[in-house]
Amino acid sequence: MLVTAIAKVLPKKATPLIFASLGGVLSENAGVVNIALEGIMAGGAFAAVVTSYYTHSVALSLAVALLTGAALALVLAYFAIAQRANQIIVGMAINIFALGAAAYLVSAIFGQPGASPQVAGLRDESLLTWVAAAIVVALHIFLYRTRVGTHLRAVGEEPRAAATAGINVVAYRYAATMAGGALAALGGAYLSVGETDIYSDGMVAGRGFIALAAVIFGKWTPFGAAGACVFFAFFSSLQIVLQGANVPAQLLEMLPYLLTIVAIAGFIGRARPPASDGIAYEP
Amino acid sequence: MSDALRKVGGPVIALAAALALSSLIMLSFHASPMRALEALFQGALGSEQGVAETLVQTSALLFAGLGVAIAFRAGLFNIGAEGQLTVGGLCTALVGASLHLPAPIEIPLCLLAGAAGGAIWGGIAGFLRARFGASEVITTIMLNYVAFLGAGYLVSGPLRGDANAPETAPIAATAVLPPLLADTRLTAALPLAIALAFALAWWLRRSVAGYELRAVGSAERAARYAGVDAGRVIMQAMAMSGALAGLAGATEVLGLLHRFNAGLSPGYGFTSIAVALLGGSDPIGVIFSAFFFGALQNGALAMQALAGVPKDLVSIVEGLIILFMAARRFSKGPLFLRRPAATADVP
Repeated sequence: MLVTAIAKVLPKKATPLIFASLGGVLSENAGVVNIALEGIMAGGAFAAVVTSYYTHSVALSLAVALLTGAALALVLAYFAIAQRANQIIVGMAINIFALGAAAYLVSAIFGQPGASPQVAGLRDESLLTWVAAAIVVALHIFLYRTRVGTHLRAVGEEPRAAATAGINVVAYRYAATMAGGALAALGGAYLSVGETDIYSDGMVAGRGFIALAAVIFGKWTPFGAAGACVFFAFFSSLQIVLQGANVPAQLLEMLPYLLTIVAIAGFIGRARPPASDGIAYEP
Repeated sequence: MSDALRKVGGPVIALAAALALSSLIMLSFHASPMRALEALFQGALGSEQGVAETLVQTSALLFAGLGVAIAFRAGLFNIGAEGQLTVGGLCTALVGASLHLPAPIEIPLCLLAGAAGGAIWGGIAGFLRARFGASEVITTIMLNYVAFLGAGYLVSGPLRGDANAPETAPIAATAVLPPLLADTRLTAALPLAIALAFALAWWLRRSVAGYELRAVGSAERAARYAGVDAGRVIMQAMAMSGALAGLAGATEVLGLLHRFNAGLSPGYGFTSIAVALLGGSDPIGVIFSAFFFGALQNGALAMQALAGVPKDLVSIVEGLIILFMAARRFSKGPLFLRRPAATADVP
């Protein structure tokens, strides 16, 4: 009984996290820390709803979400790479900006604050779960089995050495960050046009930061991060399934965050980021 | 002369760029930026009540902003001010509800409890950074959620003091910070925060500990070679940073809410990052930027009511200011005023 109930909720909880954390894995392996996953997810969720509202096309709404995520990540990439601004600060700025802009636009477009009206959504969002699973495998193969992927990791570990070997560090960082942003936004779109068919303020509810935690917990690898997402999603499913069973929900919800602190302090093996993660490249 | 200009030039340019961009956003939705600005100004500073409410917001932002600024000066990113504020507010509410002493003893004890709660929450991140090299960015983000969820659990369960709402029991009457002006919510929190800003400015500039903190912030390795115990400085900086954020929560509880509940902070801890950046991480500069953001947040409601511009515009402005302050090209001031060599990496 409990098992089937969890099996029903788990994919819904895990899918958006997996998209966002894979986005984080991609950019961080190229050396750009993306703490803006939360804001980018909100941007994607909102963009998908607006597109669906005007066009009634779910496919188009997913495409616009991807583009919105890439565009927000481009801001991060530009300031982090070209301006050599601090990536953490830029990430925070994008979080605040994207969440604020989405809230502003909800009011300005739909004439009411808080939430959008119901729009056309995906008929079966489990499709996106399969897409997420496929991307986990594809990203693993890409990062560890292809030339381009190896170059990308070199850029995140030793950008100077990579540049000496003829790799275009700047291009790799831009591409990885923007593709990562697109993935995170797809996670956001799952929440809106996938699960609920609306956008409401605060709907991302910290998932971007849980995804960030999953990146670290999963030691910056696709399978690790996805595994961490499933693990974290298990606890939030458990909390839904056990509702009313006198288990304090907040304590279960707290677990991912606590475990990440324990992991990053080095109590569970060593969580080592790519050597040049978060450090501006100065040729 | 040009030194002062340099300090002010960066923030002014960032501010102008942010306002220009957000005006464009307003224009594209057929709202008038001039009317919005006018309504914002009217709401924030147009009446005694408006000014008082602006200063109420300023106090909270000033405490938390000073905290983030101190961490910045030590080369640390405290993203966890919101969580430290939550823990501080909770500790204050608990002490305030359980002690019934004369006000001159009760109030300082309550403030101390808030500072201590924040200091512990910030100190955990400092300890993990100093001892295990764990990034304080990640640990403070995670500790935020642990604080929100933990406090939520405590006030809806073990520490619930009210049958109707998830909140703690009210604090003692002697713990309440009285209003400075009749019929306003402005309390002694503001003068206390301003005094602390001056004290911190002096401490950073003149004390050995302040010097060591700045040394670790601008060149950790060099400071280590010079015999500074960088680990101790990092822990101390994070604890101080957390204590200041904790005071923001404490004064909110003592002056406004008189108990702890989920309505403690409308995101002061996150806005305080923008406050610290715009203030150049200088305690005196932070006073001005806290006032600016206090006015912005308070005026936003009037802007929404009078000019029909959603109040969330403020978050857009805030995000843009942080963004432009982060870019060295902007934050170091106009080109012709810039110092020959950029010094520290952290603002």
